[in-house]
Amino acid sequence: MRITLYHGEPNGPSLTVLATLLAKQLPAELRYIDLARGQRHALPFAHEPLVAMSIEGEGPVLVVDGEALSDSVFIACYLDDVGQGAALRPAEPYARWETMRWCRQMIERTAPAAAYLGCRAYPPRAEAGILEKIDSLDLRARWQQIMAGEFSAEQLADSRIKIHQAVDRLEERLADRDWLMGAFSIADLESFAWLAGMVALVPEAFAAKSRTAAWLARVRDTPAVTGALALARSAQPAASWSVGPEINRWG
Amino acid sequence: MPSVTLYHWEPNANSGKPMLALMEKGVAFDSRYLDLLNFDQHKPEYLAVNPQGTIPAMLHGGRVLTESTAIMEYVEEAFEGPRLMPEDPRDRWRVRWWMKFMDQWLGPSFSMIGWSVFVGPSVRSRDPKELEAAIERIPLPERRVAWRKAISGQFSATEMEESRRRVAQGIRMLEQELARRPWLASGQYSLADINGFNLAYALPLSQPSLSNDELTPNILRWLRAIYARPATKACWALGRTSLVKRVAILEQPHIGRGPVA
Repeated sequence: MRITLYHGEPNGPSLTVLATLLAKQLPAELRYIDLARGQRHALPFAHEPLVAMSIEGEGPVLVVDGEALSDSVFIACYLDDVGQGAALRPAEPYARWETMRWCRQMIERTAPAAAYLGCRAYPPRAEAGILEKIDSLDLRARWQQIMAGEFSAEQLADSRIKIHQAVDRLEERLADRDWLMGAFSIADLESFAWLAGMVALVPEAFAAKSRTAAWLARVRDTPAVTGALALARSAQPAASWSVGPEINRWG
Repeated sequence: MPSVTLYHWEPNANSGKPMLALMEKGVAFDSRYLDLLNFDQHKPEYLAVNPQGTIPAMLHGGRVLTESTAIMEYVEEAFEGPRLMPEDPRDRWRVRWWMKFMDQWLGPSFSMIGWSVFVGPSVRSRDPKELEAAIERIPLPERRVAWRKAISGQFSATEMEESRRRVAQGIRMLEQELARRPWLASGQYSLADINGFNLAYALPLSQPSLSNDELTPNILRWLRAIYARPATKACWALGRTSLVKRVAILEQPHIGRGPVA
């Protein structure tokens, strides 16, 4: 099995996948791409439908024996299946349901909000000629809006609310446990990956949240996350953002 | 008495996913039908089960499970019966990729069109005060917005056009993928097919100019193959509305480009 991971700075979806890869002790070739410059769209497999139409926005791509895989949580599930070491999802079906449901909430509600706020604070800038290469027209439209500095006050406010809600859920969940699903799991990685950069941008959401603060430190100290963060090319990987998933169109 | 209780609406979209998964696995369940058009899902009896007021919800072992796609994975893992997830990890990745794409990108576009032509008109004639009170009972603010728009027909031309664009692109992608393999995500029938059927079972009727035996032969082959399964037949027989009875289109041996009666 030959694995190559095309990834950006260890933040958001790239962090989830890099940390999972390290936790599962899988040999892989790592290739850095600047997601904030849209470099994913210049890769040879960028127009494969399951890469081009990934609704994650600008995330990493894992190439396994010639097939390109996108969507960080599902790549992490794949790596969990094929890798070594401790399982990163619980074995019991109900706990697995909780894990997938938790990740779905992160994917659907938290990630779009975090990426929107992150891009507002640290705007990505696509290289010349990249936007025309983006097959997904809605992703291309999000790039155009962000590069033009068009942020809606309503969506910014709603995004902050979503970060507050995510941290509230974390704080509540951590009342009787160190890790979200009992043992260290993909849910911890995915939640950390989107929220670590929000501490500086929405500090009030984290105020007086001692359990969340301790959990953030605990996740950061895991060998997998420490190892992933050591791959950063910038001093502050949590300040590296690119265009994220779409904010829910309706309902 | 079955150990599973499922609160659901029609075998359609989200409700149909766990219904069909349970029936494929051969798991008996106590069916609790909630009439979405009568706002049963926002009444106190149901909010006591699922405070978010979303359908479906499943009870098993004293626990409540929500989120239709996550429920399907639970059904697959918690019960014996035919496997609905492939063995190969990369195939499983593909199952999940397609389910997310349908749940979060393609499905909402189908749904916006469906709500504007079916759900909205179905409830619009009721007493406005009664409708407003029903909307106010909806726990999730996003769902309140969706219901208001559906009832008052307030989807903008731009929103509807974007939904139509996505539906057309989604159909092209499904056709392309189903030309590569017998089922959507792998060589075996899986949760991705159950998910997809719930989204697309009436496609040749709702989008006759985009999906028919000439333009999308692989989609039609796939829909008919799923409809031919005993579990699908049994599941869709539980439908009560004209919405779900549209599945009968798949009994036609050939669906051409022309207008469909």
